[in-house]
Amino acid sequence: MLRLRTPWRLFHHWDGEPGFHMALDEALLLSQGAPPTLRFYTWKPDALSLGYFQRYEEVAPAARGLSMVRRLTGGGAIHHVHELTFSIACDQDHPLYRGEVRASYERVHGLLADVLAELGVEPHLRGDGKVHSDSPGSVMCFHESTDLDLCWNGAKGVGSAQRRTQGRVLHHGSIKLAGSDWETGVAELLPTAPGLTPQDLAQRIERRFESLGFALEDGELSTEEERRSRGRASFFGSQEFLGRR
Amino acid sequence: MRPDDRKYTKTHEWVKKDGDNIKIGITDFAVQELCSGNEGDLVYCDLPEPGRELETGETFGEIESVKAVADLNTPVGGTVLEVNVAIDEHLEILSRDPWNEGWMVKIAPKSKALDGDNLMDAAAYEELLAAKEA
Repeated sequence: MLRLRTPWRLFHHWDGEPGFHMALDEALLLSQGAPPTLRFYTWKPDALSLGYFQRYEEVAPAARGLSMVRRLTGGGAIHHVHELTFSIACDQDHPLYRGEVRASYERVHGLLADVLAELGVEPHLRGDGKVHSDSPGSVMCFHESTDLDLCWNGAKGVGSAQRRTQGRVLHHGSIKLAGSDWETGVAELLPTAPGLTPQDLAQRIERRFESLGFALEDGELSTEEERRSRGRASFFGSQEFLGRR
Repeated sequence: MRPDDRKYTKTHEWVKKDGDNIKIGITDFAVQELCSGNEGDLVYCDLPEPGRELETGETFGEIESVKAVADLNTPVGGTVLEVNVAIDEHLEILSRDPWNEGWMVKIAPKSKALDGDNLMDAAAYEELLAAKEA
């Protein structure tokens, strides 16, 4: 079991603007020396985020009028609605993330699986199995799974991706309470946990963190993090960044 | 023991003299962290255009595995002369031979000496990795 003494910073940003979320996650990623940070958020307006390497012209038609931002993390596009989004930013040698990328996913997804199981689903890593949410040719993250993805009811239910730079890691995760017209056939939580809100789910994950020995404390941004994120809020939805590829 | 004909960084790049120029790549450790021995897990590598000026420590490219994007940083400033275009189509080169075939960029360095504080020899790099494992 992981026993971590360094307290984590905990943030909740409900109904935040898409560009704000991406800029703040970038600031947290680049915040050398900052304590590990866990941030839960939801989006207003709901938006489509592109993976870092996706081609804009391939994804733009799928947006169908949604706001768009590009993430710093890779993978497919995500429609951020009916979900709890989280980000983790910490040093790469933190016990949760040290070593191979694959091992870090197994740790984080193991922690999330414990929480999801409390909600009446049977989460598991996809492994070599198949899921019916996969849709070849789709640009959407939830329609393309890997063996490390968390699935239940034969479908993918958690989207996740990491960015690693300068000894730091940013982990993005999206946990679906329900699907949308953009993300049909995904694994959902509301059918087995009616009335569940993103806030409820965040609280459950926080309790799981704490039960594993992770101390969480309400966080405060450093002056540098605030300055950096404020200055970049418009960048992630700009044509300059959306169209970089 | 990793090759002792080059210098290493704590972020797992290597840099090696190539005549008056230098070549830069990433170590076997970096590749292993990204793909755990599954060479198919590496999906994309973005390298700079020749002619680009790079400062020491600047990000010159990105590599994407199935579940992570990692920045590639130059340990030495200079001008990009050439990139290894073979990597684009054959990312498995990085798993097979990160030391020679898997070089990423060739740079005309601003300083010819590989003596920056950010660089270490093979023995020191081995020690760094051993400390990570501990």
